[in-house]
Amino acid sequence: MLRPRKMSHLLIAASRDQMETIIRELYSHNVFHIKVFTEKEDEEHEGLTIGPPLSGAGEASSRLIQIRSLEGMFGVDRESLEPEQRRQASALKALIDRDLPVIWEQIEGLLARRAACDAALKEHEQQIRELAPFAMAPIELDLYRGYENIAVFTGRIPRDVEIPAPHEKFFSASKEGTFIAVFVPVAYRDDVERCLLDAHFAALPVPMGEGHPKDLIAEHTSRISFIREEIERLDAKIEEIKKQQTEFIVACEELLTAEVEQAEAPLRFATTQQAFIAEGWVPTTEVDRIKSRLSLSTGGRALVTEIEEPGDQHHAPVEYDNPSFAQPTELIIDTYSRPRYDELDPTIMVSIIFPLFFGIILGDIGYGLILLGFALGLRRVLKGEAIQNLLGVLRNASIFSIIFGVLYAEFFGCHPGATDFALWHPIVSRHLEIGTFAQGHQADIILLLVIAVWIGILQITLGRILNAVNHAQHREMVGVMAQLGWIAMMYGILTIIWSIAPIPLMPDLTGAPALVMGLNVATLAGALLLVFGAVAIMRESALELIEIPTIISHAMSYTRLSAVGLSSVAIAMVVNLIAIEMLIAPQLEHLTAVGIVFIILGILVLLVGHLLNTALGLLGGGLQSLRLQYVEFFTKFYKGGGERYNPFGMRKKFTED
Amino acid sequence: MVDLETAVMTVEMIEASQLGTQAIAAALAVSITGLAAAWAEYGIGSAAVGATAENRDVFGMALLLTVIPETIVIFGLVVSLLILF
Repeated sequence: MLRPRKMSHLLIAASRDQMETIIRELYSHNVFHIKVFTEKEDEEHEGLTIGPPLSGAGEASSRLIQIRSLEGMFGVDRESLEPEQRRQASALKALIDRDLPVIWEQIEGLLARRAACDAALKEHEQQIRELAPFAMAPIELDLYRGYENIAVFTGRIPRDVEIPAPHEKFFSASKEGTFIAVFVPVAYRDDVERCLLDAHFAALPVPMGEGHPKDLIAEHTSRISFIREEIERLDAKIEEIKKQQTEFIVACEELLTAEVEQAEAPLRFATTQQAFIAEGWVPTTEVDRIKSRLSLSTGGRALVTEIEEPGDQHHAPVEYDNPSFAQPTELIIDTYSRPRYDELDPTIMVSIIFPLFFGIILGDIGYGLILLGFALGLRRVLKGEAIQNLLGVLRNASIFSIIFGVLYAEFFGCHPGATDFALWHPIVSRHLEIGTFAQGHQADIILLLVIAVWIGILQITLGRILNAVNHAQHREMVGVMAQLGWIAMMYGILTIIWSIAPIPLMPDLTGAPALVMGLNVATLAGALLLVFGAVAIMRESALELIEIPTIISHAMSYTRLSAVGLSSVAIAMVVNLIAIEMLIAPQLEHLTAVGIVFIILGILVLLVGHLLNTALGLLGGGLQSLRLQYVEFFTKFYKGGGERYNPFGMRKKFTED
Repeated sequence: MVDLETAVMTVEMIEASQLGTQAIAAALAVSITGLAAAWAEYGIGSAAVGATAENRDVFGMALLLTVIPETIVIFGLVVSLLILF
């Protein structure tokens, strides 16, 4: 629970001819986390080199690349595929050699044809673009060319111009642009060109071809529609092959991935001329099974021993070991950093505290129900581990939101009895005086803020205790004392504050026996705690003392639990006020045609407003309570940086042995 | 001569203007701290997105750093609540 799954450091040594058997056996069990061997030039590693891949690795890899590129072309999403039946690995292997080249050739041919069609399509479209301006003039294309004594200018020009020479001119302007064609004797070419350029003339080359441009465009258009049909036919064919072969292809990928991973495993082992050594981690519960299976499959010709090295506790891979309700929260911890093997795993605490905080911030029956429905609905539709975990966290959080909604007596910002009768009274009220839906309840603002600070004090204390436990496990008593010092210092400061000013819901120590200058016994006790704390902290590191202001700022930081929540309540109440009290209710008294428009507007404001507030609440509630875990809680004890337990093997989905 | 009617009105007006000053103070507390937090998060946020684009593993740390200045506006909100109630 508070610890990751227990791991044992395993060392497997055998002769090289047993390597393949051992790799296959380890792979099928999917529990051995390989510790990668790196070549070093010291005495201990002398004579050890990285192993060569098993035979067939190259061929399998190139097949795999083919398969993956096929998957890329088809846009296959393996995560969302559910196989109808698993394929036999041995049968599949034979099929790969026979069918894969055929499919590959087929698809390659189709795709090549499709690419050619695309290119032709572009070509024709380009031709049409070039011809379009010329189609404005009633001149055939061959009439623009082949003169000895006449110069021809064709192009676009912003406006019509006077040509200072004997000429023949055609000008046309439409919403697609302008077109000008000028025919002049060669002798006047330079003059006319200058004149045209002054008028911002942009020349267009005369397209190839003969006949009238309009006819040519029509021809290209008909070609294009023909090519489009061809593309559709090709796409349909590709789609058909995709439908038929997707399952085969993903099964092939799974099989080949397994092959390649096994074939490349020796790259992570240490080998000599005759033998090899594989080091790694196995969950302690699996050690005996792995040992017996390995000795069975190699006929006792492999040495498998548990070893212990200094630093093992620090470097072992980490696999979570949490009850099912806490498992989605592992996502939150992984986003920060996976715990190290030798520190406490905070998942289970965060799995309770995070939804609790979310509920405190967004405590509303209505919003809670919306988010719960949202989480449960999407959990059915969306696949993928990360998104499932995220929705799992949201589900837990929205349940807490509903619970706190009952405590606060809030339903979309209203008191649930807003209609006419009081259902129940809030235990702590967050209702503000906006509109009449609060039923006369006032927000207990000071109370809410103080409760939030209390929650902060408790969580910070918990964090410090956890750090002390971590230190105690490493037998670092100075560290333990420093953490106790931090706790003493925090309560010292609190005691001093309590002895000076009375605060609701907190102990009032102002009445303690007085000493000098308005200070009393409690102040003295607080100061003593403070000094003890400072000394204990300094014994570990004096530099840490600069962190003292964070005691106040972190505890105050928890007031966001109330403050962010209140702002969301305020938005909800304003939406209700505008939509119901200002737009809908007055119109309902005297129903008119204009009134109905106002009522529809009111309903719209109500829906959009609450939708927006739900989104804001999700963001605010989620991020703020996440931040409290990450910044205020984790910085007290959690380091992270552990290596993810990634066993050698595969959870097969599409194939079976 | 003292006009009693005016005197009563004046007291009410003073009360009202006190309320108004409170409201303005509360609004300033939230808005200025809000601007400050936004300004602080602007720089951190853009750097954090850049870092995340380079390496997805730092997302948690990036998120954490981005929301650190949020405390400024929360304190502003708390102060304004204390002013108002």
